[in-house]
Amino acid sequence: MFIETDVLVVGAGPAGSSAAKHAALNGAKVLMVEKKSEIGAPKRCAEGVSKDGLINLGIEPSSRWVASEIDGVRLVSPGGIDAWLTKDTVKLPEMGYVVERKVFDKFMAMDAARAGADTMIKTLAKGLEKREDHVLVKAERMGEEIEIKTKIVIGADGPESRVGRWGGLKTTVKPKNMESGAQFEMVGIEMENPNALEFYFGSVAPGGYAWIFPKGNDIANVGLGVRSTLTEKSAYEHLLDFVKTCSATKNATAVELNIGGNPVGGIIKKISTDRILVVGDAAGMVNPLTGGGIISGMQGGLIAGEIAAAAIKEGNTSEKRLSEYDKRCEKEIGNLFNKYMKSRDYLGSLSDEELDLIAKAFNKTEFERISTAELLKVLVKVSPKALLKLGTLF
Amino acid sequence: MIVKEWCMYCGECAGVCPRCLIEVGETSITFDESSCKDCKICVQVCPVRALKNRN
Repeated sequence: MFIETDVLVVGAGPAGSSAAKHAALNGAKVLMVEKKSEIGAPKRCAEGVSKDGLINLGIEPSSRWVASEIDGVRLVSPGGIDAWLTKDTVKLPEMGYVVERKVFDKFMAMDAARAGADTMIKTLAKGLEKREDHVLVKAERMGEEIEIKTKIVIGADGPESRVGRWGGLKTTVKPKNMESGAQFEMVGIEMENPNALEFYFGSVAPGGYAWIFPKGNDIANVGLGVRSTLTEKSAYEHLLDFVKTCSATKNATAVELNIGGNPVGGIIKKISTDRILVVGDAAGMVNPLTGGGIISGMQGGLIAGEIAAAAIKEGNTSEKRLSEYDKRCEKEIGNLFNKYMKSRDYLGSLSDEELDLIAKAFNKTEFERISTAELLKVLVKVSPKALLKLGTLF
Repeated sequence: MIVKEWCMYCGECAGVCPRCLIEVGETSITFDESSCKDCKICVQVCPVRALKNRN
């Protein structure tokens, strides 16, 4: 089969669908290919999104994919000292949702389809060749070879990102920047506050943290991310240890296992070249401290879609023309990522005892709002060592 | 590369492979072993230890 299009999006996660939607809305002929038979499953994610993030993207929350509403956070130190940031203690607790990615991702792909983007599922991109004024992509669907001639390729192919590398971008993730994740979806969870996200720090998850993200009733995503350079155990082994010892999960039963890598090294240096853009996890559009990447990936998708469509209209898909994408992403998505990365490295360097002391100090502090930046502001206030290392950043 | 049957095709190995030699489909994983330099980074990052080096 031979197909000709303006924009080919590889990968129908939230970032890919956002790119496809906005390229189509801006007048481009769009095809999106997805290697899996079901968009959104299996998830590789804790499924948290911020309300602000959705509003900025113009996405109305739907009861079909909102699993629970979140208005608080509980931070737990290795010694079990917890700090609560909830609507009783925080002035502006407005926060977010835990979503059902299986439904959410499909919704976003449907949005793209309604905007005019074609989609092919169960279609795996196998390689590409850059030509003078177009790109030739080889793909395979259910045993059938497919050749796609396109003016621009948008690689939204996740942390494994091969599209970028085929196109000449250095998207390989260094092992120290790849967080290795494992998560159970569990039933029978016993939480003190089912509307608060829980975060557990310290040796429970070296280089990352463990989380419990409630999904309504007694259901939650219970997972953790570790950096394989800092531990001998696998993420899965750490997860088994965690659910055995954590009081919220000791009577819970796993109904789903999710695993996957999360690129936490920040946006990669160069995310566009002639006729090729990368978005989402493939471009490192993940908050290096929290590991959150749904909203930032979709922001990247929006920018990529707009610029790709504009470049095609102008008949100029050169590296120089597309470099506007790098600039906008740096400004609109990555502006705080370097600070978050330094904070991540600092928090990762603390002993369990030091984390306990910080948790104690957090307990005595008032918070304006629940956000990463606010938490870090308080951190440098309560910890002299943090002030020394991060004081100039926040 | 030996792939254990509990591999979940998450693709983390493909993302760290310095030579981009790993292709992950929905339920398939293929290594281009002719160009592999045996760095074992893929083995190290696997969240469920599903990869094992032949050597």
